[in-house]
Order: sequence, then C-alpha cells, then structure tokens
Amino acid sequence: MMRLQMKKGMLYAALIAFALFSLMPLFFMVLTAMKQEGMAMKMQFIPDGPLETLYTFKNFTEVLFNKDFPFFKFFLNSVIVAGLTALLSTFICLLAGYAFARKNFPLKNFLFSILLSAMMVPGMIFMVPQFAIITNFGWMDTLAALVIPHTANIFGVFLLRQSIEKIPNSLFEAAEVDGAGDWQLMRYVVIPLVSPILLTLILLTFLGQWSNFLWQLIVNTPSSDWLTLPVGLALFKGQYSIAWEKMMAAACYSVFPVVILFIFLQKYIISGLTQGGVKE
Amino acid sequence: MKRETLSAYSYLLPFLTVFGIFLAFPVVYSIWISLHKVTLTTNLYHVFSDMKFAGLANYKEIWNNVEFWWSLIVTILYMILTIPTGIFLSMILAVLLNQKIKWASFFQSAYFLPNILDMLVIGLIWKFMYSPDGLFDTFFMKIGIDFFHETGFLGNPWTALPAIAMAMVLKGAGFGMVLFLTALKNISPNIFEAADLDGLTWWQKFRYIQAPLLKPIVLFLAITGTMACLNAFTEFYIMTEGRPISTFLGETVGVTKITGYYLFEKFTQIKYGYAAAMSYFLFVFALIISYINYRWLREKG
Repeated sequence: MMRLQMKKGMLYAALIAFALFSLMPLFFMVLTAMKQEGMAMKMQFIPDGPLETLYTFKNFTEVLFNKDFPFFKFFLNSVIVAGLTALLSTFICLLAGYAFARKNFPLKNFLFSILLSAMMVPGMIFMVPQFAIITNFGWMDTLAALVIPHTANIFGVFLLRQSIEKIPNSLFEAAEVDGAGDWQLMRYVVIPLVSPILLTLILLTFLGQWSNFLWQLIVNTPSSDWLTLPVGLALFKGQYSIAWEKMMAAACYSVFPVVILFIFLQKYIISGLTQGGVKE
Repeated sequence: MKRETLSAYSYLLPFLTVFGIFLAFPVVYSIWISLHKVTLTTNLYHVFSDMKFAGLANYKEIWNNVEFWWSLIVTILYMILTIPTGIFLSMILAVLLNQKIKWASFFQSAYFLPNILDMLVIGLIWKFMYSPDGLFDTFFMKIGIDFFHETGFLGNPWTALPAIAMAMVLKGAGFGMVLFLTALKNISPNIFEAADLDGLTWWQKFRYIQAPLLKPIVLFLAITGTMACLNAFTEFYIMTEGRPISTFLGETVGVTKITGYYLFEKFTQIKYGYAAAMSYFLFVFALIISYINYRWLREKG
C-alpha cells in the first residue's frame, strides 16, 4: 500500500512539474508584462516593498495606443485577417467537399490525387512565386493579399468530403423526394450534420492565420495599414529591443484570445488536429 | 456537358480558382523564376518584370555555396534535436496521462495549449528567458555557474541550436501527446486483463501491446516534424536571426542559419531566382528524408 501511494505521488509530481514547465513561458510573459518600467531585466518577482513598486497594469494600455506601434490596430487587423480567412476558407472548402462527396464528374480522381500530392510540397516553395503573384496583382499592403491565398485549404476539403460521405444516403434521398435541390440539401441536411467539423475548421484556420507570421511579414511594407500582431511585434522588437515589459504586454494580446478560445472550444480544436494522425 | 458535371464544377470553382492561382501555378512559376536573375535596375515592387534569363546559373551557384550546405546541416541537426526528443516526450506524457488520475483533462490542456500559440510570441518569450541576465542565466548564476552569463544561451555557438530546439519541443509535445493518448485509449482493457493473468511486466505490456499500435503515429510525427524543420523560419527569425557567427570549411557561417531562414535572407536581398532555386533543393531534400523515414519505420516492423 505504501509503495502504491509512493508511486502515485511520484506520478503526480512528474505531471505537475511538466505542467509548470510547459506553462512557464506564459507565466513569465504575464509577470513581465506587469513590471514597472526598467524592472523587466531584474529577475525579481516578489516585490521588496508594496506591490506597486514592482507591478503595474499601465503597459497593457500604453502598448494599445502607442503612436508608432498601435497594437490595438494590429490586434483588430489580426482578428479581421484570421476571422475572414477562416470563414471564407471554410465556406469554399464546404462547397468543394460537397462536390467531391456527392457528385460524379470527369477528372474527379485525378483532381483528388493532385490535391493529395500538393499537401506534400514543403511550404517554402510557395513563398517566392506567391509573392510574385501578389506584386503582379498589385495586392501589396492589401487585405486581399493576407486573406485570399490561404482560403484554399486542402486539409479542409478532405475533412469535409469525409464527413459528408458519412451522412446516410437515405437522408439525401428523403429530401430529394420532397423536391429539395442542391442548396436545400446543403442547408437542411449537410450543414446541420457537419456543423462540428465546420466549427473545427473555422477554429483551426483562425489559429493558423493568427500566427502566419512569414506571409504577413512579406506582403506588408512597414508602413502598411494591415500590419498584424506578430508583424507589429517583430517590428516593435527591432526598434525598442530593451522595452521587454512593453513587448510582453503586446504579446499578451496575441496569447489571451487563443487561451480563451482554447478553454471553451478545445474539444473541437483537438479533434480537428488529431483527424489526420489517427484515423488515416 | 452533363448537368451533374456542370453543377459539380460550379461547386468546385471557388476552391479550384484559389488553388490553381496560389498553389498549383506557383510550383511551375517558381521553376521559371529560379531560372532568372534580377538586374541592377530592378524596381523593388516590379522585380519580376525585368529579370534576366540565367539558365541553371542559380542552381550551380547554390551547389557550390558552402553557406547553403551548412544551412542544410543545421536543418539536419535541428531535426535530430527536435524530432526524436519530441516523439519521446509526447509518448511519455501520453503514457502518464493514460492512467487513472485526477485532473487528467487539466494536465492534458496544460500540455497541449502551447502548441496552438503564436510561434513568434513563444519565440520572443524564450529569447528573453535565454538572454544574459534572463531567467535561466539568473538561475545558473545563483547556483554558481557563469558559463552562460557572457552571451546568454542563444549567443553561444554550442547552446544556441539546442536552446531553440528545447523551446520548440516543449511547444510541440502536446500535439504528439494527444495523438498517442487517443491511440492508447482505443486499446481494449480486456487485453490488459489477459496480460495481467499471464503475468506480463509493465515494460512487456508496453512493448507488446501498446508500442505496435503507436508506430503509425511515430511515422506520422516523424514526417510532420521533418516538414516543420524544413519550413522552420519564425523561431529562428525571432530568436537568433542566424547568429552566432562561426566558420565552416573556411567560410563564415551563421551557426543557426537554417535553410528556411537562409532562403528568407536571400529573398530580402531580392535574390528571388536564387531563393526559388534553393526551395527546389529543399523539395528534393524533403522527398529523400520522407522516403528514409518511411523505409526506416517499415523495416523496424
């Protein structure tokens, strides 16, 4: 009995230790973000005197409306870019997934294998030519450049095709007997039944674009109106590399929304990410 | 044309348009770009209009470029540092969490959360923790080790890459853990009861019941991990920008200048043709590595 309890104790110690280690960067970020000016580099977390000698909330408001680096605007831009991409991408993937699941058409298998092989191409291949296309379209510094290229989500089409195929044929037939066309089938059969998958895809695309730093960096010039949070943060670091408390405060604005989404919707996020790994 | 065909393609149209312009066409277009060089008169935003045809010159240059080969070595080192440790760590976490414990879902969330946070932000936090007088250095100074004090962890050629790797393994481990955990939970408890009756040890149970089921996940993680290393950029951009400097075969190289970052650097120097050609080297490299991964794991069982 004693041995069993010792084992349990060690198990919990290991679990807790790793949880602390895994969340350490976040604790560190929040504590640093609340440091008084000039105190960030002192690795002191328990104040000598009253709490205000070490901590303050003013960094959070200061970075929001900084004259050169308005993080409030960067934040809104990130929300718009990631949100719009997520909705648009999920919509066009739903249409494509529906066609692959329910229709027969020439070149269907060929198209599908093209999509499969495109998934194996390392992303770096796309950087130069995609940038070239954006400059040819005159899309530098525009919302379109940030959104449109990432709306063709191959994984999304696979996921939706798979889940639409799982819907029993009898449901479609019953609706067709009642005279339902494609749009009604979509509205009353497909969308209600695949809505968890749609939510999963919206979330995953949102998270992906929330942190799509490289692309957002190259299609924006530093004076662009569409600078996003990560790009703003990178430029901020280039200019104020000593103001760690401000940088960490800005970083909080990138982390908090994700944490909130994760707390409430983690079931959908995790199920989406594990689809590719376990099922196939 | 049949009605069904027409309606199918109308559903596919938005997806195929974007796919065609931004994913399919670029693969071919990139080959074309890689055969060109920019000229001195090039305008920054219309660079692609006045490039000069150069044949295979970019490819030849890359082949003879020591810095490029060094960047591939960095990529391989980064793969060795991140992939096996990441898989091992996530497997251990999954095995720990697969027992009857309280707060299991809290632990799972705590391990998984960093995985979906912004890479740039996580990199920035770690850069601060690794800096001279940062969190780790302060800790080591307290216990009397001043080895990291002068340059910080990221400024020392021996610790820079392992430091980045550790940050990224911790960030990514939750993903593998969730995959392993799902697979472990799918194993029927009857099998374990039978194993208990046969008196199998903990290790034997793992070796003969669980490990075979986890193998496809190991393969999957090895391949996605390889892809992540070949595309690795953001963590290097924010943490080291390719530094510190060292020498390799008589050339000055950045110790952490991984291929993804090196490619970006050429891109910012508006050497578009060169960068495009380099991405094809990466592609070939990706194919080779994926094939080795696949064969290796096949042979082992």
